[in-house]
Amino acid sequence: MAERHEPYAVLAEFDSSARLIEAARRIRAQGFANIDAFTPFPVEGLADAIGFRSRSVPVATLLGGVAGGVFGFLMQVATNLDYPLWVGGRPLVAVPAFLLIAFELLVLGAVLAGIGTMFVANRLPRLNHPLFDADDFRFESDDRFFLAIFADEHFDRNEAGKALAVLEPKAIIDVPGRPVR
Amino acid sequence: MTARDAEDRVTREVVRIPQHFPARRAWWACFAVALLLLGLFFVSVAVLFGYGPGIWGNNIPVGWGFPIANYVWWVGIGHAGTLISAMLLLMGQQWRNSLNRFAEAMTLFAVICAGLYPILHLGRPWRFYWMAPYFNTMNVWPQFRSPLTWDFFAVLTYLIVSALFWFIGIMPDLASARDRAEKRRWRIFFGLGAMGWRGSAKHWHRWQQSYRLTAAIAVPLVVSVHSEIALLFAAGPIPGWASTVFPPYFVIGAAFSGFAMVSMLAVWLRAMLGLKDLVTPKHLDMLGRLMLAAGLMTLYGYLADAFTAAYEGKRELETLMDRLSGPYAWSYWSAVLLNFVPLQLMWWRGMRQHPLVLFLVGLSVAIGMWLERYMLLVTGLYRDWLESSVGYFHPTFWDWSLFAGTLGVFFTAFLLFIRFLPVISAFEIKEELEKGHNG
Amino acid sequence: MSDGEQPGDRAPPATGRQFWRSLDELIDEPAFQARLARRFPAIARHAGDWRRRDILKCLGGAVALAGLDGCERAPDEEALPFVEAPEGHVPGIARSYATAFEYEGIAQPLIGKTREGRPIKLEGNPQHPASRGATDAITQAALLGLYDPDRSAAPRRLGAPADWALFDTELAALRERLDSTQGSGFRLLTGSTRSPTLLRQIGALLERWPRARWHAWSPVADGAGSGLPARQTRRLHLGEAHATVAFDADPLGPGPLQTWHATGWGQRRRAYQAGDGAAQLLVAEPTPTLTGIIAGERLIARADRMEPLLRALARALGVSGGGSAPRLSPAEQAFVAQAAKALDEQRGHGLVLVAEHHAPELQALARQIDAALGNLGRTSELAAQRGGPTAASLAELARDMAARQVETLFVLEANPLYAAPPALQFNRLFARVKQRIHAGLHVDETGAASHWHLPLAHALESWSDGEAADGSILLAQPLVRPWMNVRSRHELLSGLLGDPTPDRALVRATWALDGPQWAAALVQGWVDAPPPAQSAASASPEERPVLRTSSASATGLSLLVRPDPSIWDGSFASNPWLQETPKPLTKITWGNAVHISPALAEERGLANGDLVRLEAGGHSVTGPVWIVPGQERDTVLVHLGHGRSAGSRVAEGVGFSATPLLGLSPDADVRLTRMEGRDEVVTTQAHFRMEPDEFVRFVETAADPLPPEEPRPSFYPPQESKPAWGMAIDLDLCIGCNACVVACVAENNVPMVGKKQVAKGREMHWLRVDRYHSGSPDDPEHAFQPVPCMHCENAPCEMGCPVNAAVHSPDGLNLQVYNRCIGTRTCSAYCPYKVRRFNWFDYTGGDPPELKAQRNPDVTVRQRGVMEKCTYCIQRISDARIAAKKEDRPIADGEVVTACQAACPTQAIVFGDVSEADTQVSRKKATGRDYDLLAEANTRPRTTYQARIRKGERPA
Repeated sequence: MAERHEPYAVLAEFDSSARLIEAARRIRAQGFANIDAFTPFPVEGLADAIGFRSRSVPVATLLGGVAGGVFGFLMQVATNLDYPLWVGGRPLVAVPAFLLIAFELLVLGAVLAGIGTMFVANRLPRLNHPLFDADDFRFESDDRFFLAIFADEHFDRNEAGKALAVLEPKAIIDVPGRPVR
Repeated sequence: MTARDAEDRVTREVVRIPQHFPARRAWWACFAVALLLLGLFFVSVAVLFGYGPGIWGNNIPVGWGFPIANYVWWVGIGHAGTLISAMLLLMGQQWRNSLNRFAEAMTLFAVICAGLYPILHLGRPWRFYWMAPYFNTMNVWPQFRSPLTWDFFAVLTYLIVSALFWFIGIMPDLASARDRAEKRRWRIFFGLGAMGWRGSAKHWHRWQQSYRLTAAIAVPLVVSVHSEIALLFAAGPIPGWASTVFPPYFVIGAAFSGFAMVSMLAVWLRAMLGLKDLVTPKHLDMLGRLMLAAGLMTLYGYLADAFTAAYEGKRELETLMDRLSGPYAWSYWSAVLLNFVPLQLMWWRGMRQHPLVLFLVGLSVAIGMWLERYMLLVTGLYRDWLESSVGYFHPTFWDWSLFAGTLGVFFTAFLLFIRFLPVISAFEIKEELEKGHNG
Repeated sequence: MSDGEQPGDRAPPATGRQFWRSLDELIDEPAFQARLARRFPAIARHAGDWRRRDILKCLGGAVALAGLDGCERAPDEEALPFVEAPEGHVPGIARSYATAFEYEGIAQPLIGKTREGRPIKLEGNPQHPASRGATDAITQAALLGLYDPDRSAAPRRLGAPADWALFDTELAALRERLDSTQGSGFRLLTGSTRSPTLLRQIGALLERWPRARWHAWSPVADGAGSGLPARQTRRLHLGEAHATVAFDADPLGPGPLQTWHATGWGQRRRAYQAGDGAAQLLVAEPTPTLTGIIAGERLIARADRMEPLLRALARALGVSGGGSAPRLSPAEQAFVAQAAKALDEQRGHGLVLVAEHHAPELQALARQIDAALGNLGRTSELAAQRGGPTAASLAELARDMAARQVETLFVLEANPLYAAPPALQFNRLFARVKQRIHAGLHVDETGAASHWHLPLAHALESWSDGEAADGSILLAQPLVRPWMNVRSRHELLSGLLGDPTPDRALVRATWALDGPQWAAALVQGWVDAPPPAQSAASASPEERPVLRTSSASATGLSLLVRPDPSIWDGSFASNPWLQETPKPLTKITWGNAVHISPALAEERGLANGDLVRLEAGGHSVTGPVWIVPGQERDTVLVHLGHGRSAGSRVAEGVGFSATPLLGLSPDADVRLTRMEGRDEVVTTQAHFRMEPDEFVRFVETAADPLPPEEPRPSFYPPQESKPAWGMAIDLDLCIGCNACVVACVAENNVPMVGKKQVAKGREMHWLRVDRYHSGSPDDPEHAFQPVPCMHCENAPCEMGCPVNAAVHSPDGLNLQVYNRCIGTRTCSAYCPYKVRRFNWFDYTGGDPPELKAQRNPDVTVRQRGVMEKCTYCIQRISDARIAAKKEDRPIADGEVVTACQAACPTQAIVFGDVSEADTQVSRKKATGRDYDLLAEANTRPRTTYQARIRKGERPA
């Protein structure tokens, strides 16, 4: 080899989501913390299996909604006080009329915050990723489910490989990281 | 066939469409027509900007004409997409997966068409942004008590939300299209759209949270949007408009017309792209039922509106009578006829599952609902309070041409969508098949 | 010194051309260019290019801003302003000049308002009894006539442009010939003018050339061409008439006397409302007229029933001459009984009227009745004749033309080729005349067929005088210098006599007044000339029937030919303001129709707009029918003045000409035959039935108020402000004359949109007069209702506007901010009164420069795509506010007068501060007859109405 790669991760490929979940559980039981799984569609319980839990999106949605709604209402009050105009004999601060726009902005705030957080937390958009370099790691497939153990400071390729081999995956794939001279 | 094969075929069927398009001829034919209409749209707009709204049939008293009726109609169409996609998702109706993707696209494009109208309808369209609150030297702000301002915010919100909902929905399928693409340009095209999606369990986790939350919020959004459009009428002191049943009446009518549109599109795509295995008779059956249900509720809306009018009496009642027997009675009765008579076929499963029947019923409802909007608007305005201000409305060529033009806008966008993007949510179908496989 | 010697006075008629030259040079001056650009950006673009003449036309009046020497700033160096001293001109400050406008022989006393030298508005002369500040619609629109882009701008010879010099030489030749032959073969044909100066000139002419003759004729006053009736046989004082019985007469109807009569009527009616005496009006008529509609008693009777009715009345009042008892229907008997009772109760305050077109005996009988009741001289007087030459008739002219005794025909302000009765075959004979000279404002039918057409100066740009409705003599000052190559009628005649003199000198010479008197006369607008001696009551001036009603016809149809309420005999047909003014009774604009009764329509199966041929006495016209509820069953009515074939782009091709039906013999039988097809009749109102609503409310007598209504609940408090502007419109005084409508158009730069747009429902009038009728279509109850913006306190329009373009002002006005409006039209959709108007196209940008120069600089000209509506003449309000602020005082009551209010002859419209209890408007609203239009809409309108009073008897 002209250049050697720091390993990025080791992948094990399974042929069903059920086996993937099973495998994920066992790998975690063995104390591998830095793991992830890759599936062509959302798989129930997989997040638990790899011990992942996140509330960031719901929380962000809630906060965004509240912020949007409050801003919406206050904006209308503020603008009406800023330039008071006599309209239709109605009071300057016409609460019932203002609630509709407040609601629309509540919705807008919630959705933008929720989806925005999803992208940010997922580190998306990302056009390149080491996994894409892995030999035949492709997302399009229907029957290929991957379990990944990522390389960290006390990462041992062989140990990880063995652990995965025990699970009888269809294949074990090395994922090279950034090339080093 | 095993679930595996099924899943595989699904992906191929769906994802291959852009790259090995099944019905090039048919597509080009449709696209040519759409482009023609699009051209008509631009001509109409040019003439409109050149001469002013006087090219239409509008007058005093009927200051609103086609543009507002079309606006309400288009938004209504849009709502069905969101309802099918969001509400059925929350209710866990798996069969939705074959429909939601293009239904959402329909929503998006319909809302765009709808959004064009209130702007084109203005006397000074180049000043439309004055509806938005922004800092300016004169310190004047929008008038937030006006239903138009409500609509401005409602439609804007609705446009953004439905666009995002549609996009995060299609993102995973773009990813699989990316990885399946043979040609580099397709890989780049889909790659950009997929935003680096790679199916990580963590990603899926957050994705599902935001997708479901957005869906949960979208449903009340739809209701609020069309309620506010109803208030555009109901907030005015016009006999025949000032009716408290308007908001629900409008919302349900909107869903009705939307389901009709979805049914037509479903039948059309199914035939054109050969998606028989994905859009099955079961789906047509479900659409038929939705239409029937929404239709019956709309019918109830008609009755409720009539009842409140009769209950209020005097002018409201006069307007009702005028609708039933006045110079615009034709619009009322043809609306009733087209909306509710063919609809009754939907009681029979055989009819619901018969693509052509479903299509025709959908068509009749779409036209009927347009007539309903026309009727509500014109009969309200042409004779309101003073007998002396009675004035009749006659649409002109440019009224019709602009309407046809927006159809062009819609179908051009929609055809490009089915040509280049996955029209059906493959991964969600796979998910379901997998569940079925395991279960 | 006499003015005759002043430089400029002696200037030859070529002055006009020097005027051109000087302006030409002027246009090219950079300084002027700059000024121009500042004042008239729109016009500045064209300055100096090939459109120069347009600019000159437009700017002629605005020479002031061209910065010529000071005297040019005044409309004419000798004109004296009405309110201010002439010296020093303050830009932006309007100046008013007393002047007059004559039509149909009657001069209307006016105050002309000018800005920067441009006349922008006409008001009635508030100090003159014949106006009291009011005007009629036609007079209001005279202003636009001055700026008419189609006015003839230069002499034409055989249809080709020529110049005055050539004409003057030809005139010299003519003069020699006439001097040698004592004027044989020379004829002068004029309209029915009564300008003393003109009569003096004509007298001089006839004196110099004894064998020349003067013919006077007007299609309205003299349809048969058999000679004008001795002028204004009776002068009415409706202000004195507590009980008026009119037979087919329409004193309040359109025409030169309308203002005079309506002012009197309004005065009387207001007194009656205040509990002083009665104001009874009993009318027997074949077709609804303005007088008939407001009458307490209206009897529908064929024109030929007037005689028996009048005789019966005479008998009932024991007046000799009643003759044998005529046979009357029960309804007629009832009417006569009531009329007799009313007149008897009001001895000395009664008035019996018979339309001028009825037989002289009837007129005489009416006067006998008045005489017997002691009314004569109180409610009416016999107008005295001023001296002067007597005119021959058009018929005589035709006869002499046929006999080839006419070599030179000088037509001054008349259009016989359009309006002469067919019997005279005038067109054929006219062609025979060797030398045909026509002088008029337009190259009309007659002008086109003449050897010479001479452009006449408009009344508002020349000196003249005339006789007002009350017999006093008015002086007409020019409001602006002529900017076209024109001469006034006086200049023309003096030129003909070989002594070209400026019209000012001519007018002045007529009135032997010293300097101060002259100045005073100019300032006040009239000459305190000694009234001519009263002719004895016995002497009955000769009367000839005009616009003959053909009644005893075999088919039983009776034909009425009346002047058009808007464009009169067609002399105003080129005036868009009048063409687009809805006719009071039918609301028809831009055209005329054959008016028939509902019963006749049913019998013949005719619907509005169906084409019919109307034949009478071998002549026929073809036009669309219009069904007029309340018209006598067998009566057919057509209006004159339409179907013009030359004169101006506006006039041509509008409606059909009723001229062929003029001057028919009484027994000509009238036929109505249906033709194939329809013709679009354009109205501004589609539906007229009022039931089941009560838009116009009624009370029986002045004493009884409307039933009290419980106040309507509202979430919001009533608006408090000082001042709080409001308007009261008294439907009991409104006669539906349209003066307010045209005044509003003139004041507020309201664009005219033309027939097609009106047909689409896009007329722009800010103020409309709705007309309703209720009850059986054969004899309904009619009502008028002027509808401006209501300026609602809880205005729905404001709620609808998304951009704050419709908002309320601190003094309670409902504002429309054109600059902010984006044209969503929501305000109009939400307006229950539909008083808002939208600029569907750019209605104003394409206007010719003249029209742009006419506009009121205080009122924004609206752009395409914005909404507009009545502003309560906000510009007048701010003028008053500024004036009051300067003097640090509150705005006085009556200081703000809206344009519609000012024009109204009966003072039906009152405007002012409703926050004060003692203002006129508040007092009006305090009368028990006050009500909100569409109170159920709960918009709290600031414009309210006072219910109409059915009866007019003195409260018992």
